[in-house]
Amino acid sequence: MPRVLLVEDEEHLAAGIRFNLELDGYEVETIADGLRAVERLVPPPDGAAPAVAPAIDLVVLDVMLPGLDGFQIVERMRQAGNYTAVLMLTAKGLPEDVVEGLEAGADDYLPKPFDLPVLLARVKGLIRRREWARGAAGDAVKVGPAVVDFANFELRKGDEIVRLTLLEAMLLKLLVERRGQVVTKAEILEKVWNLNPDTETRAVDNFVMRLRRHLEEDARNPRLLLTVRGVGYRLAEE
Amino acid sequence: MSEVSQLSRSRRPKWHYLAVGVGLIVVAIALTVAWGILAAPEAAGARGVAPARVIAYFFGSLMFLLLIAGLVLIVMLLLREVRLNERQSNFVSAVTHELKTPVASLKLYLETLEYRDVPPERRAEFYRTMRQDIERLNATINNVLNAAMYTDRPVADPRPLDLARLARHAAELTLTRHQLAKTAIRYAGPDSLRVAGDPQALETAVLNLLDNAVKYSKDKLMIELEVWGDADGQAHVRVRDHGIGMSRTQLPFIFTRFYRIGAEVRRSKTGTGLGLFIVRAIVKGHRGSITVDSPGPDRGSTFTITLPGLLEPESEANGAPEAARA
Repeated sequence: MPRVLLVEDEEHLAAGIRFNLELDGYEVETIADGLRAVERLVPPPDGAAPAVAPAIDLVVLDVMLPGLDGFQIVERMRQAGNYTAVLMLTAKGLPEDVVEGLEAGADDYLPKPFDLPVLLARVKGLIRRREWARGAAGDAVKVGPAVVDFANFELRKGDEIVRLTLLEAMLLKLLVERRGQVVTKAEILEKVWNLNPDTETRAVDNFVMRLRRHLEEDARNPRLLLTVRGVGYRLAEE
Repeated sequence: MSEVSQLSRSRRPKWHYLAVGVGLIVVAIALTVAWGILAAPEAAGARGVAPARVIAYFFGSLMFLLLIAGLVLIVMLLLREVRLNERQSNFVSAVTHELKTPVASLKLYLETLEYRDVPPERRAEFYRTMRQDIERLNATINNVLNAAMYTDRPVADPRPLDLARLARHAAELTLTRHQLAKTAIRYAGPDSLRVAGDPQALETAVLNLLDNAVKYSKDKLMIELEVWGDADGQAHVRVRDHGIGMSRTQLPFIFTRFYRIGAEVRRSKTGTGLGLFIVRAIVKGHRGSITVDSPGPDRGSTFTITLPGLLEPESEANGAPEAARA
């Protein structure tokens, strides 16, 4: 049974979302405070007592929270190597807020007020996307100097192990599956980010830059993850 | 650490403009000093200096000083603008949150009732939740409307009213709204204290103060509500809580429109930053005053409203003219 951590300080919303998620068969844990959410999601730096609490499959995260805001929570999670899928919920629904959320490391974003069926579909979708990113393309794929282990969201380069976020893994997987072909930016936005293909954002470019840092000898002169000007990106055949 | 990064993220661009302004002032002062040093000895020392030179020196210095004064003025106006801008953006954030959260909750519960098979006991609980959301929505709307309605202009039609009864009624309403025990608010004061004013506005003011006291009280809910009249013909209402209080630096700002303590995105308290602004506008409209005092964070706050125009007890209670009673 997938376990969802719901971080929401509005009591009514938390109770309503919990009720619905439980009916859909998820185990739900709720936290109403940003700092406590970080305690739960980010393991202590000394590595002592790593999660006694059960592992979480998805975090549903509000932005406006007492203690620490949602953007900062995702940032801290990612910095600390926690790549659990994150769905952000917030009253701030402007496109720039969506982009800020995604750039902070969230995997999906839903503005309040939301439609219940949409929320449930997004939760299910994120858990499924995670499974998609993990399965099918073979567990470990060689990409240039690195080996990408999709099952564990890890990129290994020599002794170095880089953890990938769900979105990074999905983007890389899409490019690996279509190796040698151009994948348009619109398609990436739609398939990986679940956004309208017309959305104006530098998020894809930023993610590509990050992947290049891990995959290329010289990220400024890429030989593997190539930009096709005005169209999208292509992963070169080896 | 997180606080700093949050603040720097939202404030950085505005502080750049201010830094340019302050830099210009420094440059202007340096130029003035340089002008003074270079031009003065000649003007003051040598005898036969042409009067035109002295006049030029005098007016030059004056112009420099005017330039500095102008720059200081511009920077001060800019600073005021920056603060207002920040508060307005906080207000938009707060109102967005205060309006959208109950709407999101209502929508969620309505759709749950529509799509799910909800057992009767949960159904009753959902209806209760939805009613509370509507109350919250209504309170926010009233707050915004009151802020537009109550201005500092004098009350158009002051009527005799019983301030003591009005305060007790506000206390009862607060207890009901927040579902509190009767002992949470202690009233001390006369049974009746008559002043002239707008009863609806004054009740809004006392309600806002009580509402704040509840909101910022943490776990220890002990609110004291006092009403009294003094020999100078003034009536007073005092609301004291034992909650989170505030620091000395925050005190001067709390009656400002849209002012809220802390960054909006990490808000733990509901509100729009209009409550105390409305209270002050209402009190000013009654030619009264409001003061606040707090010994410091976590040591509670005390708000005192002072209103002029205390009326004789029972003066018009039964519509009886003063002369008839005398």
